[in-house]
Amino acid sequence: MEFAQKISATTEEIFATMIFLDLAVAEPLTQGKEDLGCHISAMIGLSGDFNALLGIHCPAEVGLAIGGAMLGMDLDEIDDDTKDALGEITNMLAGGLKEAFAAEGTNLLLAIPTTISGSSYKISAPSGSNRIIIPFDLEVGRFYIDLKYSLS
Amino acid sequence: MGKTVLIVDDSNTMRKIVSRALRQAGIDFDEILEAGDGQEALDVLGANSVDVVLSDINMPNMTGLEFLKAKSEDDAIKDIPVVMISTETGADIIDQAKALGAKGAVKKPFTPDLINDTLGPLL
Repeated sequence: MEFAQKISATTEEIFATMIFLDLAVAEPLTQGKEDLGCHISAMIGLSGDFNALLGIHCPAEVGLAIGGAMLGMDLDEIDDDTKDALGEITNMLAGGLKEAFAAEGTNLLLAIPTTISGSSYKISAPSGSNRIIIPFDLEVGRFYIDLKYSLS
Repeated sequence: MGKTVLIVDDSNTMRKIVSRALRQAGIDFDEILEAGDGQEALDVLGANSVDVVLSDINMPNMTGLEFLKAKSEDDAIKDIPVVMISTETGADIIDQAKALGAKGAVKKPFTPDLINDTLGPLL
């Protein structure tokens, strides 16, 4: 299903058209998936021909940079604007994946994004599910796009 | 006389981004109004003179499709053109939106040029 390629292409499109930050994609993680050292995450569920949870995870300074670039203003704390901005990224990313999969006859429905923040948390996938984590590098630091999925 | 646009989206961030894209597209609006869902949009349309509406589809309380249906049943506002701006731009949902009166659709993420190309003919 080429999950990684679809995630990379859609993320690059979002950053090129609406965030205007230079972005470099790195190789998907093979270890260290549960402790990404992040302080803000936004996630959205997908259901249908497969079930998935798609998320973006950022250290605070990266989340602030992304949110600030989207809004065209400086952000100095993780507030509702920062959470809303990252939620919109997951929404657009999920929409892009939905469209890419629909072109191959795989149909999905989107849920509503959820955002969490904190100084320390771990993100686990249910046993039996698959997980892809792709790092992306900005000048300010690294963030991760995370897809946990199980084929129906 | 300048125009008035109503941006309908449950995301404050997205409303700001759409406002910025309108400015970058060079479309001259006198006033940019905002609403957080379909019901708020109906309230704004009832109280203001609006030339065009840009609306998300997936919203709480009243979705973009529900908003289109309710608007089409109100003679006072039914002729105001609506363009959908959404991550949901599959043929099925856009067909539903157009059947309910939407004049076009823009997929998120979008560029100011795409907004201009879609909105320009309606103004």
